[in-house]
Amino acid sequence: MNNGNDGNNGNLAGDCEPVLRVRNLRKTYVQGKIPVHALDDVSFDVKKGEFLSIVGPSGSGKSTLLSMIGLLDRPTDGSVFIDDVEITKAKESEAPRIRREKIGFVFQHFNLLSTLNAMENVDIAMRFTGVSKNKRKERAFELLTQVGLGDRVKHKPSELSGGQQQRVSIARALANNPAIILADEPTGAVDTKTREVIVELLKGLSEKGQTIIVVTHDMAVAEQTDRIINMRDGMIVSDMRGAGREP
Amino acid sequence: MFDLIIRSMTQRKMRTGLTIFGIALGIFAVVVMGGMSEQMNLVVDKSLDLMADNIRIEPDGTFGGIGTLDESTVSQVKRVPGVSDAFGVLVTVLDPEGGNGGFSTDMVFGILPEKQFKDAKLTSGRYLVPGDGYKVVIGSSIARKFNLKVGDELELKSKRLQRTSSITNTRNVSVVGILEYTGSMFDSAVQIPLDRAQKFYKLENTVSLIYAKPATGTDPSDLAKRIELSVEKVKSKSPEQLRKEIEGQLVIFSLITISAAVLAAVIGGLSVMNTMLMSVSERTKEFGLLKALGAERKTILLMTMGEAALMGVIGGITGIVSGAGIVHFLNKSFEAQGSALFAITPRLVIIGLLFATILGIVCGTYPAYRATKMSPMEALRYE
Repeated sequence: MNNGNDGNNGNLAGDCEPVLRVRNLRKTYVQGKIPVHALDDVSFDVKKGEFLSIVGPSGSGKSTLLSMIGLLDRPTDGSVFIDDVEITKAKESEAPRIRREKIGFVFQHFNLLSTLNAMENVDIAMRFTGVSKNKRKERAFELLTQVGLGDRVKHKPSELSGGQQQRVSIARALANNPAIILADEPTGAVDTKTREVIVELLKGLSEKGQTIIVVTHDMAVAEQTDRIINMRDGMIVSDMRGAGREP
Repeated sequence: MFDLIIRSMTQRKMRTGLTIFGIALGIFAVVVMGGMSEQMNLVVDKSLDLMADNIRIEPDGTFGGIGTLDESTVSQVKRVPGVSDAFGVLVTVLDPEGGNGGFSTDMVFGILPEKQFKDAKLTSGRYLVPGDGYKVVIGSSIARKFNLKVGDELELKSKRLQRTSSITNTRNVSVVGILEYTGSMFDSAVQIPLDRAQKFYKLENTVSLIYAKPATGTDPSDLAKRIELSVEKVKSKSPEQLRKEIEGQLVIFSLITISAAVLAAVIGGLSVMNTMLMSVSERTKEFGLLKALGAERKTILLMTMGEAALMGVIGGITGIVSGAGIVHFLNKSFEAQGSALFAITPRLVIIGLLFATILGIVCGTYPAYRATKMSPMEALRYE
């Protein structure tokens, strides 16, 4: 299993090589006969352990950008590098391996499998990596304990609250030690109190060296990240870092 | 992987159950219809074996039915070079009024006692001997059907049409021997001395068929041709030709029965396809998620096709077991009337199971293909 975390404490974003490089990314859809530029020459770097949020109004291209980084969709032009590997050039047959080794997804509506319990939902992400059943079980329990659900491992999604489901989903995203966690509106379907729990959890992971990119509408979430990329009409309009949000 | 397939199936119990029921029904039809065909094949095979290497001679112009030949034809056949022996047999139905709902294969063979087919062994009594009067040797099915033992009497019936009415004659004959079960037409046969049969059925100097034994070293096919050329108005068939002809007729029968059964099974297969298409459509998001988590196309393909194949296997086993159960029950009830109608052979079981599995896989292929070709992003956005 690829170990993206080295266990260092503290934010490592300041002094590391970029784990993600996005270069001149473009995505054009054709709606009817009209071309729509969902992404227009987007470029940025993300360093290891960085906790980054991408904000912007609906249709600004932030979710499209996340799909390109997560190899769920292909760009019209441009490149995405993860750990110096250009994933946008990967063949279709290589995409599953890259997704399971480099990326962990967290979705707005959790996307847990309703027939599986919390443990099995985390386990399923490791099934495709060839890890033995016992090791998977051990790792799933460790991750669920890490997200505060050590006592809920046998519960099915329907028996868990929204916040608990999202924590299972975060545990699942961490299962294969990915280089980057991509979270698409992770607090979009939970209440304010739970939102804080989720953001704290993500923040904690980032402090331990996990790179996290969050797409959100919610400025209260974005304010708690190290860096905010603001998008509009498929382009980056601002990229602010630190407490004072300097460019 | 298998546990995920089982979970998917058990999650939609009613639909899975109905689909398996559809397949089971199809395979049930395959087993029952195929069983009937297999039984016919077995009976014909054994009957032909018991006839050994006899050449069969019948009147020219009869197609499947029973015709008549003058008994003098036997002597003409005997005179053909290469024939070591020949004898006539008079064949009629045991119950001309069509008892048992008009479906009866029970026959009466009027035969010279010294020419009886002794390949079929006796369970009790004796074979016919020259000089026997109205004495008969009966097959095992006849004995069971009429609950007869040696010494009992059996009623023969003959029916003759006269102008607009028909006259039925009856006569009791006594049973002197009972043959063991052969699985051939002899199980449903009553053998009576030829002269008595001719007298009772008022068919003096008449036979239905002539059997000729080729002399040692004579090719039966050549001899059959020679007999046809030497004796007028007859057609003769060597054992080989007879086998081919009967097997040809059986193929048609098998085709009809098996086609009906296959049609039923294909309808069952379509229900698998329908179920899997619905399942794939419902699980679009799930497949999208699995792809996002790194599942490969072949994993999704295996999950979907595995589910379809498993439904096929379960349906197949259910169909075979229920078909065998019904066949066993029907055979028991037909046995009371003297004969079995179905045979469940290992070949049939293997064919049934293979057919169900292949049907499941084939009908699961298209839904599986649809599941794999979805882009993960589209699948995740699917509502």
